[in-house]
Amino acid sequence: MDKHMNRRECLRALGLSGLTAGLGLTGAPASHAQGVGESSGFQSSVIDAHKVQDMRTAATIVDGKVIQPQRELPILHQTDVLVVGGGSAGVVAAIAARRAGASVTLVERYGHFGGLWTGGLVVLIIGHIVKGGKQVCQGIGEEMMRRLDKLDGAIIDRRPGVSPTVDAEAAKYMMVEMIEEAGVDVFLHCWGVDAIVTENTVRGVVFESKSGRQAILAKIVVDATGDGDLFAAAGAEFEHRSHNVGLVSRIGNLDRIDAEKAGQAPKPRRLGSATPVPGVNWVNLTGPEVDGLDIATLTQMEMNHRKFIWNNVQRTRQTPGYEKVYLVETAPQLGVRITRILNGLNRVRLSDLREATKFPDVVGVGGSSGATHGEWQIPYGALVPTKVDNVLAAGRCISVDMGMADLVRLVPNCFVTGHAAGVAAAVAVRDNCRPRDVDIAKVQKVLRQQEAYLG
Amino acid sequence: MNNPLEPNSESGRTEAARRRRIRWLVRVSSLVVAIVLLLAARQTRWPVLVPALSPFIAVGSILATRAFAVTACLGLAVGLIAMLRPRCFCRWVCPLGLCADGMSYVGRRCGRKPAKLPSIGRWIVLLTLASACLGYPLLLCLDPLAMFSGAFGIAESRTGWLTALPLLLVLTTSFVWPHIWCSRICPLGAFQDMLAYPLRRARQARNQAGGNRSSSRWNPPLARRTVLGVAAGAALAGIARSSQGSTPRPLRPPGAIDEPEFLGVCVRCGNCARACPTHIIEPSLGRHGPAGLLTPILHFEESYCLVDCTKCTQVCPSGALVRLSPDGKASRPIGLPQVDMSVCLLAEGRECTECGRWCPHAAIRYAWSETEYTLIPEIDSRKCTGCGACEAACPTKPNKAIVVRPIGKAAGY
Repeated sequence: MDKHMNRRECLRALGLSGLTAGLGLTGAPASHAQGVGESSGFQSSVIDAHKVQDMRTAATIVDGKVIQPQRELPILHQTDVLVVGGGSAGVVAAIAARRAGASVTLVERYGHFGGLWTGGLVVLIIGHIVKGGKQVCQGIGEEMMRRLDKLDGAIIDRRPGVSPTVDAEAAKYMMVEMIEEAGVDVFLHCWGVDAIVTENTVRGVVFESKSGRQAILAKIVVDATGDGDLFAAAGAEFEHRSHNVGLVSRIGNLDRIDAEKAGQAPKPRRLGSATPVPGVNWVNLTGPEVDGLDIATLTQMEMNHRKFIWNNVQRTRQTPGYEKVYLVETAPQLGVRITRILNGLNRVRLSDLREATKFPDVVGVGGSSGATHGEWQIPYGALVPTKVDNVLAAGRCISVDMGMADLVRLVPNCFVTGHAAGVAAAVAVRDNCRPRDVDIAKVQKVLRQQEAYLG
Repeated sequence: MNNPLEPNSESGRTEAARRRRIRWLVRVSSLVVAIVLLLAARQTRWPVLVPALSPFIAVGSILATRAFAVTACLGLAVGLIAMLRPRCFCRWVCPLGLCADGMSYVGRRCGRKPAKLPSIGRWIVLLTLASACLGYPLLLCLDPLAMFSGAFGIAESRTGWLTALPLLLVLTTSFVWPHIWCSRICPLGAFQDMLAYPLRRARQARNQAGGNRSSSRWNPPLARRTVLGVAAGAALAGIARSSQGSTPRPLRPPGAIDEPEFLGVCVRCGNCARACPTHIIEPSLGRHGPAGLLTPILHFEESYCLVDCTKCTQVCPSGALVRLSPDGKASRPIGLPQVDMSVCLLAEGRECTECGRWCPHAAIRYAWSETEYTLIPEIDSRKCTGCGACEAACPTKPNKAIVVRPIGKAAGY
């Protein structure tokens, strides 16, 4: 062992050689389920204390300050490409990278795929078309739509030039299928909390779960957290922005409105838009502009919105003819729109949209809400941090100016940036180079092979 | 015996024919040049040259706006020539005159006879110039060059066909009563006659030298007519101005002078509409009062007024649109957008920030209303130029939730 090796590297080396082998954690992700101990006769058994948990060191108080003692973290897994965040960008990135030949691991903080698309009930596919109705979101995003077409009651309004609406549960199911078919290793209920960095180069991610704090080592990390948690932790430059934080809900029994009773009276507002489930609408809520990274604010938003949604449905129910309308659910995920935005090698600006700028390193083409704009290109440089290596951004946190943030965060545009990041990561792994040095022609070739539209 | 000045002689006839041929050549060339100039509206500023040739428009607009545009020099120069050579412009240059002559020829071949009519043109000039002194030139838009230019807006917009009506009217009149337009009605022709009048009187006086000098004294009928015309013009201008006060001011192109003066000073040549690169200017159908018929109004359904563009102000021959620099345009807002929250998608909880995204001046922000529990677009009137980008971007149909409204004088325009 190199005597100049620092403590952290030494620990990692130890972890690699000893712990993972010793704990049998290098196998398939499924193997991290614990064996049960001796049967007690009930449908519950005492489980041997997880050896990972044994390594925990409680925080303590030193001189009135809470201190987390230094400790070694177990390495759960090693992979070529690690995608953090299983939202619309992350899922596409994982599938794209896997199809491009890399071994891929996906970690997601909730128990389902789709992020705000499904968990946030942003079930409207808006932003996949441009002025004139041409669809620019192709590739894996379009493949998802086609899969939903085949499922019963999964998607409505799938016509050219129109924004379709999906069923969140169908989308979650569809993504489970696709992730499994692609052969992506998955860890759900894992919250990526820190980057593992040596000399401005990301080596993996630390994440927190019910199994405690663990690490996954990766050659390239795709930050699809939406909030840019990973590139921020790795020390990349970013902009911290406020935006509207809302909460989507679904209301039901809209097919049981008594039209006769309702008469000519003005309709209640906020009845939302149709979903694939008959009589059920999804209702958006914009919410005030706040800091989506501040936990006190997020808590307040969740509680305020919940009160408003409940009371608003009650008001609707008091409208003659609308008595049977009821609140089906509020979205499991709070609707945080924009928080951190990467400072990338390149940046998509509103002027690029207006002037239809062509980028030589184009890796995707974005659409617009309401198809009010023409095509706008997404350069690869918008995914690559200026300083830190081996991490790529995907989804709403890529490098854009504020005018473009509202377009880049739309679900289909997240598919597009996710697709680009996934393929670029796989190409970087294959060519054993830093993402900033990747051969863009190769990335574009693979993207086209995967039926992505690059203008 | 071969005197070329003798019209009956052989060489005199050929000389006359030669001159006629040259004159026809010049007239046809003028027509072609005028058409080319007017068709180049989107690429160049040339269209301004056609109506700017009219001394009637030049004098009328200078009197009305009390401002002097460089293009007025052209009209004044033509006026100066008219003083020395009466109707020289009509016989050699006027493109509408050639068209009217053509129709008159056809009319005469069809057996139509010229009608007897007093010189209406002179009254039009008197009325217009008198009212112009009060800032409201009543019939400036009857200028033939303006009407000729206006007809080129025929394919410009949904209402473009209307712009050809004045020209058609003149041609029909010329067919039904050959030559009556040019000789009796055309205010530009009459104005040239009036300009030539003093010199002609002087020449007549010289010819009658030694005779009775009373004939060179002020002509009482003309004086009476002038006084009557001026008085009527002033009265009508007053009536027109006061009657316009109540109707809502429409959205005008940037640099438009105040209403109701605009209605008088605008000659309806349609240059602005044809020059506009985004096709947002169209002739009014009189929705804002019949006096505003064919005046330019703005519509932002599909596009908006580009930040750096001042083309419409540069092709206006009459000063109805004051020449602006892009900076000057910013300080002269076209209007101010108003939001109708009963239409706005935000009030439905829908996700839309199109107006703010398209605003070139970042003048729109979205304020959260805790009571309405919605975002409300707020317009910063200090930054807004009323360019209409927000309205063009607004996706609601059929009514836009954000609409640019004219700013009244009361609002400190």
